[in-house]
Amino acid sequence: MTATAAPAVSADRLIGRVAALATSPSLRLAARRLVIAVPVLWGVSALTFIVMSVLPGNAAQQILGVQATPAQVHQLELELGLDKPAWLRYASWIGGVLTGNLGRSLASGQPVTAIIGQRLPITVELVVYALAVSVALAVPVALLAARRPGGLADRLSMGISMAGLSMANYVLALLLVIALAVYLPVFPAIGFVPLTESVGANLRSLTLPALAIGLPLACFYTRLLRADIADQMQEDYVVTARAKGVGPWQVLVRHALRNSLFGLLTIVGLNLGTLIGATVIIEQIFSLPGIGQAFLQAINNRDVPLIEAIVLVLATAVVLANLLTDILYAVLDPRIRYGQRPD
Amino acid sequence: MAPAGPIGSLRRLAVATATLALLVAACGGGTSSSTGATQAGPPQRGGSLNYLVSGPLANWDRGLDTASGGAAPSIFEDAIYGQLFRLNATGDVEPVLASAYEFSDGGKTVTLSLHQGITFQDGTPLDAAAVAWNINRDLATTCVCSPITSWPKLGPDGITTPDDHTVVIHFTRSYGAAISALITSSVNHVASPAAVQKLGDQFKLKPVGAGPFEVVSNVVSSQLVLKRYDGYFKKGQPYLDRLTFTTIGGDQPAYQAVLTGQAQAVGLTTPALIQQARQNQSLTVALTPSTAPWVIQLNTAIPPFNDKRAREAIYYATDPDAMRVHLFGNLFAATQSFTGPAGLFFQAKVPGYRTHDLAKAKQLVDQLGGLTVDLFAGNDNISTTTLQALQTQWAQAGIHTTIRPDPDLTRIIQEFTGKKWQAALQLVGAYDPAVGAGLPFRYLSTAVYSGVHDTVLDQMLDDAASSTDKGKRAQRYADIAKYISDQAYSPYLFGAVTGAVALKSVHGPGLTSSIPLPGGFPAPDWDEAWIAKG
Repeated sequence: MTATAAPAVSADRLIGRVAALATSPSLRLAARRLVIAVPVLWGVSALTFIVMSVLPGNAAQQILGVQATPAQVHQLELELGLDKPAWLRYASWIGGVLTGNLGRSLASGQPVTAIIGQRLPITVELVVYALAVSVALAVPVALLAARRPGGLADRLSMGISMAGLSMANYVLALLLVIALAVYLPVFPAIGFVPLTESVGANLRSLTLPALAIGLPLACFYTRLLRADIADQMQEDYVVTARAKGVGPWQVLVRHALRNSLFGLLTIVGLNLGTLIGATVIIEQIFSLPGIGQAFLQAINNRDVPLIEAIVLVLATAVVLANLLTDILYAVLDPRIRYGQRPD
Repeated sequence: MAPAGPIGSLRRLAVATATLALLVAACGGGTSSSTGATQAGPPQRGGSLNYLVSGPLANWDRGLDTASGGAAPSIFEDAIYGQLFRLNATGDVEPVLASAYEFSDGGKTVTLSLHQGITFQDGTPLDAAAVAWNINRDLATTCVCSPITSWPKLGPDGITTPDDHTVVIHFTRSYGAAISALITSSVNHVASPAAVQKLGDQFKLKPVGAGPFEVVSNVVSSQLVLKRYDGYFKKGQPYLDRLTFTTIGGDQPAYQAVLTGQAQAVGLTTPALIQQARQNQSLTVALTPSTAPWVIQLNTAIPPFNDKRAREAIYYATDPDAMRVHLFGNLFAATQSFTGPAGLFFQAKVPGYRTHDLAKAKQLVDQLGGLTVDLFAGNDNISTTTLQALQTQWAQAGIHTTIRPDPDLTRIIQEFTGKKWQAALQLVGAYDPAVGAGLPFRYLSTAVYSGVHDTVLDQMLDDAASSTDKGKRAQRYADIAKYISDQAYSPYLFGAVTGAVALKSVHGPGLTSSIPLPGGFPAPDWDEAWIAKG
């Protein structure tokens, strides 16, 4: 009897948990957002296609170059199917996407999924590394600055962060190479070592690109976080903690910073698009075979299937990052319950 | 309005790069000018060379198949396929995979002789049948590298192969530029017919030739890794074990990468960086003069340049020497005709050429009742700098100029095909003025990219290309240069240079010594390249 009763109890528990999960506000939020993401992604792809269609010229002209005769261009247009109406090409592409086929690059003829599969991991690693660099730098510097507003550390960090914010990341990239690859040969100036070959060499090859992207972001996050922590330090709970005799660093780290991280989290999520955009230029400078490099080449080639696929992948990443931010909000702050009435 | 997004950012990157280059060059100081290679000694075997490529060289998306490489430059293909012929340091044609060529039948027939016993990297023979198969394939392709853009039509016999090491090309008319056109077309690179048929679409990613190197890996437009082909027909060559081409975002990061030793060689086009490299004791810089000078094309079909006085005003208002000296550090060569110093039939001076004379320019502008010009170009460093200089110089003569640097190749093509353009700053010429983007490309009445509509000039161009006598051709091109100058069709500015920059340990023609650029891009002799150990 006992032996048969136990599984029944487990099954009930399991059903109960599934039911609880199904009614979870976070999950409902995720599901709702994913449904909304479909028209968003469709809109992005349609807009990209329209923009590429209204631009002068096409892949055939771009690929063959300035010396091509109109007859040569026309023949290649026929080979690439560019003679068909734009809406038909888009419909064909979107049909392919729905069946998991992103098509073939007009320029190289390679499957787009293969190109993205080969290059996306490099860009993802670069983005994660840059993000880690920016947050790892921003948090301690912001804490140091907020510890004594108006003090030396605060003024110095705000001055440096203003300078960092004013500098374009491609200029910073060139300066970093001069400083840390030419004069002090600490990091490689170009190239990429796959993670599978050597973890250390892989991180070294991505350090300068990650710094070039991450440092300006760190400056931005520092200013934002420092201002937020300074505000938090005026709150009642901080005064109470101080009155209880909690040390100043403990108040900063355990109380003020914890609450300020919500603001930072929002900005990090929203900034992902900017971060990905920066990789387009940075990958060129550091010769990284990532998706940004392929994207720029695809634009130059008017390689619409590849452009569309890359835009779709990047847009999906941004949508998912924002969704993840919202879910993290709900997880981190019990007061936030999406989809529930305030009472 | 500046374009947004990556293109706009790249434009800003180019400006930042140029500014940074100037700053660093200015701070560099120093008076030494070490540009020559060190005493090389005998070539040493082994080692890897990482060669950086940017700009148009960095795009091999269309693949590396000889017949469909689009506008892919031959720098990669030379290494993989080798060459039937190439130009040596003195600009003469040197047979490589071929052993000789000969004109006959008044220039209507060209006979190519091949070395015997050469094999492709897949073990199949490179013989007359393989070369003929390649030529016929090249003639049928849409690729701009096809010889069809320059060659006359083939006669009824087409391509014949009397034996396994002789190929005969039968033209319908005499064509003295046949070998020049061959060198600058896909015909110069011979693909293995067996590999083309076996690999299909994959051939363009991993092509098979009989050149000094074979493909190891190919991340399209990012990195191409090659290794020595042990069966290369020249015994003991190539010297390098490995040759890698890596794309990079521009001259400044490329130069910095060479300084770190991560790359060993690069071709630079930014004058400030070339000057800076020349002052660096750890580098060798070989200045390779251009075959194609910069020209101001004037559209003679529409106002204002259908009036000869307007064209003359542009000649008199333009001061190329001021630009050469003050903007480009005296690196560029002066020219008054359509080839650069490294091209065939180069003429630095043309009798009666209208040189800078502000008073005459003003007088002509007054006669015209004012002159307003729309001038467009690409947006590379040289173009944008020159456009601004021209605007300033012409303003002194009372010419109001709108300048339009355009990053978009397609829009530039559409400017020409639209036929409404007034003036364009472009490159003209080629190693041989009869081929590629040479004289017919910029001056023939029927050419898309021509601003001249003159049947007399058309006939002169045709005559100059047909002769197989080099002396006669030289005279005919001198006559053409004089005619263009007299008609004030297009003022010439200067021939730019490419700086082949390499670490001191690197040696080889095109890397540390100058050889002509038949296709307008650097193309070192890869089988001769080597690296000194230690």
